[in-house]
Amino acid sequence: MERPAQVQPAVSLEESTLLDALRRGDEDAFARLVGEHHATLRRVARLYVANASTADEVVQDTWLGVIQGIWAFEGRSSLKTWIFRILVNRARTRAVRESRSAPFSGTLSTESAAEPGVSVSSEHSLFRDDSTAHGLWTRPPLDPGSSPERSLLTKELRERLRTVIDALPSNLRIVLWLRDVEGWSSDEVCNALAIQETNQRVLLHRARSRVRAALEPYLEGAGGGARQR
Amino acid sequence: MKPPAEMTCDEVVELVTAYLEGALPPQERDRFEAHRQGCSGCETYVSQVRLTVSALGQLQPSAGEDLSAEQGRILELFRTRGLHRREKRNRDIPLGLGNERAALGDHIVYFWESEREFDATASFLAAGVSLGEACVLIGHDAAHERLLASLERRGLSVRALMQERQLQVASVRLSADGLLLELDERIKDAVHRGMPTVRILGNLNWGRGTPGWPSDREILRLEAQVTRVAERLPSIVVCVYDVTNLPGPMLVKGGLECHPLTFRRDCLRHNEHHVAPERFLEEL
Repeated sequence: MERPAQVQPAVSLEESTLLDALRRGDEDAFARLVGEHHATLRRVARLYVANASTADEVVQDTWLGVIQGIWAFEGRSSLKTWIFRILVNRARTRAVRESRSAPFSGTLSTESAAEPGVSVSSEHSLFRDDSTAHGLWTRPPLDPGSSPERSLLTKELRERLRTVIDALPSNLRIVLWLRDVEGWSSDEVCNALAIQETNQRVLLHRARSRVRAALEPYLEGAGGGARQR
Repeated sequence: MKPPAEMTCDEVVELVTAYLEGALPPQERDRFEAHRQGCSGCETYVSQVRLTVSALGQLQPSAGEDLSAEQGRILELFRTRGLHRREKRNRDIPLGLGNERAALGDHIVYFWESEREFDATASFLAAGVSLGEACVLIGHDAAHERLLASLERRGLSVRALMQERQLQVASVRLSADGLLLELDERIKDAVHRGMPTVRILGNLNWGRGTPGWPSDREILRLEAQVTRVAERLPSIVVCVYDVTNLPGPMLVKGGLECHPLTFRRDCLRHNEHHVAPERFLEEL
């Protein structure tokens, strides 16, 4: 979870060579760029628009934005960050047009993400007033130490995770996905979504709390067989 | 001095993400860790969150689908739609004026006489907003006031659009070079923020003769050069010319000779009177 040190300039020498090639119309350079990012763009587009073919159109529009904006792009961010900013713009515009309600807005206050059953408060049901051997946990979450990570992702668990992620409000979903599934740093996520770091952390916290709560039966079961499965 | 109170289980749950992100100040981190060591419930909770993160990290499928057909289509876009091409571009972007469509790089003169014709230019902006594009106004404050009021009447929140910088007002500079730099900067900023296209609506003739306003000559130098700038950047430029009040030389030289396209009577037309910018500047 350590954040990478920000010592590198936004655009490396390698990247500025690539930009020059793209501006010249070098197809091989563009093909490599597409190969590198296309699959991720598709996965992220689907977080915004449910329909797969609409998501593919969003991705195609994104590449068109890259192709046409390449002369105006000056490397104020990395190429990857820029490409995902275009994707987010295209996906939001598309989602607004289709549903007439913005699923994710950069200015969205963290409070407006609140819904019934918001993560953190639901944790409180685990506590009670009197102190026990386990601190204030009424029912101690069982120690997952005996559950090796490699055996964690059964097919059932994978499906459970997908269901929980799909049910998250889209602003939580996108942050959780980019951070924990795609493995982006918090800087990358903040830049691509144009949100503040503290806002990003609140969204991530809520999303992770919900996913943890949904996984709890599995974590318990793996831990000590408290529950028959 | 009293030592800081011990952290509660509630606080641990609230702060677990900040803790795992390394975002807690040292003192808070120490309190967090002290509590964790003495509370097996919280210790387990933190482990569960870590396990959750690790499970999520294993979710990403390793390459499965064959994307080569789709990537082929995208390469075709690069071949046919890149701005490095010199060929004619597809006119497929709704212009918002009449029922016309524009291409990136279009530099259009819009002649108006009636108030209704002037107000209609706000539709050029509204169309851009609905497509997630950026809109930049450059010109006189009085013109902008009318345009923004017209956008509000269409149900758009000017304040929200400006906050998101989807709608911007560029500063008027005295020289053509200063004006070009200002527009170039606005376009690049919008592109950097992921906007696919930038619409520029110019009302520079409105302030003619007022102090601190660029001279006719500088406006003409700008108009000639904008044509070339727009060709390279993802932009559509519409310049608004007041037929009733502008002197003939401005209408002919600025309006007709500097714009490859005209918009009049609901029609976008190629303009045979357009003069190549290089020649225009030489003879100015």
